[in-house]
Amino acid sequence: MAIAANVEYRVNYFIDAVAQPTVTAVIEILLWVGIFRTAGHATIGGFGLQDYLAYVLWGAFFARIAASWMYEFRMIEEIDSGSVNGLLVRPMSFYEYYLSQLLGYKFITTAVSFLIPLGVGAALGWNIHYDRLPTAVLLVFFYLILVHSISFVVATCAFFLNRIYALTVAKNLALWTLTGELIPLDLMPEPFRGWLLILPFPSGVFVPVGYLTGRVGLETVNQGFLSVAVSLILVNALGLVMWKRGLRSYSGTGA
Amino acid sequence: MSIAIETKSLSRVYQSYRKPEGVWNSVKGLWNRQHIEKIALKPTTLSIESGQIVGLVGANGAGKTTLLKMLSGLIVPSSGEARVLGYKPWERKHEFLRRISILLGQKNQLWWDLAPYDSFSLLARIYDLDLDKARARVNELAQRLRCTHVLETQLRRLSLGERMKMEIIGALLHEPAVLFLDEPTIGLDMIAQESIRDFLADYVRSRGPTVILTSHYMDDIAQLAHKLLLISKGAIVYEGTVENFTRATEDVRTLSFRFSEELPLDVVLPEGHVLRGGRKEHQLKILPQHLGILMPEIARAGTLQDLKMEETDFEDVIRGFLEKESRIL
Repeated sequence: MAIAANVEYRVNYFIDAVAQPTVTAVIEILLWVGIFRTAGHATIGGFGLQDYLAYVLWGAFFARIAASWMYEFRMIEEIDSGSVNGLLVRPMSFYEYYLSQLLGYKFITTAVSFLIPLGVGAALGWNIHYDRLPTAVLLVFFYLILVHSISFVVATCAFFLNRIYALTVAKNLALWTLTGELIPLDLMPEPFRGWLLILPFPSGVFVPVGYLTGRVGLETVNQGFLSVAVSLILVNALGLVMWKRGLRSYSGTGA
Repeated sequence: MSIAIETKSLSRVYQSYRKPEGVWNSVKGLWNRQHIEKIALKPTTLSIESGQIVGLVGANGAGKTTLLKMLSGLIVPSSGEARVLGYKPWERKHEFLRRISILLGQKNQLWWDLAPYDSFSLLARIYDLDLDKARARVNELAQRLRCTHVLETQLRRLSLGERMKMEIIGALLHEPAVLFLDEPTIGLDMIAQESIRDFLADYVRSRGPTVILTSHYMDDIAQLAHKLLLISKGAIVYEGTVENFTRATEDVRTLSFRFSEELPLDVVLPEGHVLRGGRKEHQLKILPQHLGILMPEIARAGTLQDLKMEETDFEDVIRGFLEKESRIL
């Protein structure tokens, strides 16, 4: 259903799948080229310009997978406006309904958008470990489930507070840094770097892209899977409590 | 006959906060809000037999949609009990949700960007239906509603009437044992209203689900409902058959007449009736036994040019009843 609904608007679909991450990648590439030129060093943090370019190019496309703000807005809107009623009276789970939509949408956009970093990487002969791509993609999709669970918790706040879109924006800004989309996390000073890597958020960008581009090894990927799994249990437990409490206070707006 | 829906002292209180006028009060609301409670439904006890069609009638804000939402499991009551098909609705067990359906006339429940066929096939999966049988059922319902030509058009491109027909198919696809219809004909033109009303009448006759119907169009209630629940200010003020209700109030007649000239002043008549000054045409709701007392007084008030007495229709009776209840409560 998510696939059918999204390809219905062709221009929007292609802009979303291709133009958005491409623009992000181009900005970051220009930024890193500028940094290397002004720094006057061949390497920063032990990695050369090509490593950074490969990281930011793949990073933009992985970050695209790891984001769920569009569906988070929709979930909030459903609860705020009362259109969630149509789902509540059916034998289905609101969480699973949106998760399946999100996954379907990400699969259809990833299939197209990954052609760009694959093509650019092959054309420029960058040192990418393509054999690691399936593991990296698996990790980011596993992380996406966690991101959805966090979005679900945020959306349940709409039962009590109605308008909570600002929370989504603030959370996205935090994730922009915590995932490593903004800068590779190995550039962060200790002890922050160590703390950040224990958290599940680097599994969105830094760990899978670092693994693909040779910045981190398999042990970091395994730690990422573990961290996301533990977080999933905690966040979903919180989500369940919030959902039940939310439904108790829900007034069935607008029906 | 078994009981499909039962409530005992079921009530719901909504919380909101006072919003005094002005910018300063809006700013003050950031740290200081005065919460208020509104009783949407007072403790309500009722029972509805299987296969009955119940018309739930009341003014806006009377509490009928709140009752419907609690019975369909959308909201949790503040107090009291309810059982629908033996289930507590607000526990929203999947076995329960598979046996009910709610049609909200003011909300789309199908998917805006999908063609109805896709939406129905998704619904068939949600309700664990056999896909071939579901498809055949969609075609059968669409034929009865005369809307097969729009099944492959995205919902957003359909007219309001066509969308409502699609919503009806979606609501009936899994053959619910209990059907909640909230304003199913709202906003539709008279032809579409009639077509949907006829379809629903035919459907409930042939399939026999228990139906709770709310509508502002009394024709919907008059044509479809066996039982009438009148609700006013959060309380059920009449519960009984449509026939008994009409019989109890059928003596009311509408007396319409026209004078040759406008009345210069108000004229007070017996039995609490008043003819307003400045008008030629007048209309009174009277009991037939008062006609003998009223007619001489009316004839004295002016020169009659035209006179007509009619039975009051169901809609007028309901309106009069609700107006009276609103004054009492």
